[in-house]
Amino acid sequence: MCGIAGRILDAPGKVGADLVDLMDAQEHRGADSTGFAVYGLPRETGCVLRGMGFDKSRQDADIDVFESILREHGSGFLSDPNIVTDQNRHYCIRMEISDPSNLEAWVSDSDELAGRIEVQSCGRSLEIIKDIGGSEAVAEKHGVRDLIGTHGLGHARLATESSVLPNASHPFWARPFLDVAIVHNGQITDYFTWRDKLRRMGYRFMTENDSELIAVWASDQMKAGLTMEQALKKSIASFDGVFTYMIATPDGIGFAKDRFAMKPLVVVNRNGDLAAATEEQAVRRVMAGECDVINFDGPSLTGTWGVGNRSLAA
Amino acid sequence: MNEVSGKMDEIVIEVGKRHIRDVSQDIMAACATGRPIRVIDTLSRHNLGVGLPDNVDITFEGSVGYYCGGLNTGANITVERNCGWAVGEGMAKGHVTVGGYAGMSCGAAMIGGTVHVKGDAGPRVGVAMKGGNIVVEGKIGYQSGFMAHSGRIIALGGAGESCADALWQGEVWVAGEIDGLGVDVDVLDPTAEEVAEVDAILDPLGLVDSSRNWRKMVSGQRLWYFESRDASAWLMI
Repeated sequence: MCGIAGRILDAPGKVGADLVDLMDAQEHRGADSTGFAVYGLPRETGCVLRGMGFDKSRQDADIDVFESILREHGSGFLSDPNIVTDQNRHYCIRMEISDPSNLEAWVSDSDELAGRIEVQSCGRSLEIIKDIGGSEAVAEKHGVRDLIGTHGLGHARLATESSVLPNASHPFWARPFLDVAIVHNGQITDYFTWRDKLRRMGYRFMTENDSELIAVWASDQMKAGLTMEQALKKSIASFDGVFTYMIATPDGIGFAKDRFAMKPLVVVNRNGDLAAATEEQAVRRVMAGECDVINFDGPSLTGTWGVGNRSLAA
Repeated sequence: MNEVSGKMDEIVIEVGKRHIRDVSQDIMAACATGRPIRVIDTLSRHNLGVGLPDNVDITFEGSVGYYCGGLNTGANITVERNCGWAVGEGMAKGHVTVGGYAGMSCGAAMIGGTVHVKGDAGPRVGVAMKGGNIVVEGKIGYQSGFMAHSGRIIALGGAGESCADALWQGEVWVAGEIDGLGVDVDVLDPTAEEVAEVDAILDPLGLVDSSRNWRKMVSGQRLWYFESRDASAWLMI
């Protein structure tokens, strides 16, 4: 019983603060961990990385190795990495890098270090911030309320299919695709089968979480030529299980619901100023006054919403 | 609790960001006075108006979240706009009116009383209900009536897919389009006496219309009394 949320602003603004409010209202659905995917203003070159180191006693040495792998791919830090630590053994890291000569090759080599430092998002505008604990605690630790952007996703996790680990939190990045993230409420019951198929295609997974494959699967479908809308529709017939998930790219947000109509999604869309969440009471945290609420309660539903009313269907 | 209201003698209770436990204590205290109650600033919060006693008239201004009217034992509950999941779940007696849309599992496992939804309702209306009546003026959602043991679901605006799936002794009455039937459903043309029984439920709500083309759905009982060696019963699932 996780809680998910999406938010699109009609102009760049404090999307981080709204996502924190949306998830704070749904913390009762799961407070094992909380995460946010924030789409900031896109840069023309270079990437912003968010990730996690798993042993802060080796922090400096591990970052040195990480940087040497970047250099091997013609990239490097554009500024000093920003590191957040607390009493936990893991630490969180934000890095700005110049473009690697071959992104996929760099991600692959970088992932060899994933037991020490794991890249959890990479993009021109996407930043995924996730950690153990409730919405306000994670937001305060990582300064999420101050993040400016156009849109984003949020997730409150009740761990069911895998352990309570900081890197098993949502959102998940569609490794190695730039700027794609998902949040998921439900269970993908055939995820071992799907993960095996995707692994044999060369994709890598960092966790035992069933949701991680949704991001990769959908991105692979879009890489093969499907629009987001088409990939979402195909996922309903492809995945076994109960699910409502949301996927985000720099252009907007889409959602898909399973054939059994088990997981709710409530949306308020004021001409592109949009809030979506598992529960209506969360949406009302960011949409003041009475508003027209759309309940996507039926089976086999999909939808897309573009930033600035861009179309994601064609 | 605010004693000031536009309606004579009405007690007004504000929800806002207050803890629902505190709101519920105020509501129960107001119930004891016998005066009408209006709950304002509801913000779609969950668990409002759960376990209310008999002889209570309460109105929720705006929309409410999950479980409103659950375990009702006789109160007359009005929600002016929408409800989240499971409005009237497990209610034994009384009346719940929803002015707008009712989310999934409306009237789940209820054993008596009436739930009246003026808009559409989400999936699984009356799932596992064991008595009472659910009247939906709009369309009922996917798999409504699933495993309803008893009672009536009456939809005036059609039904979604998998309608009346795996019914027991409950009945699903639909006027309007049905997108698809569930497993083990018999669709019957009701007798005049049966229509009169349904009209007796609709009459106090002002919803009787003799021009309706009713379809009454009951269990085919092929799953109910299935013969384990008869594969056709299993293949229905």
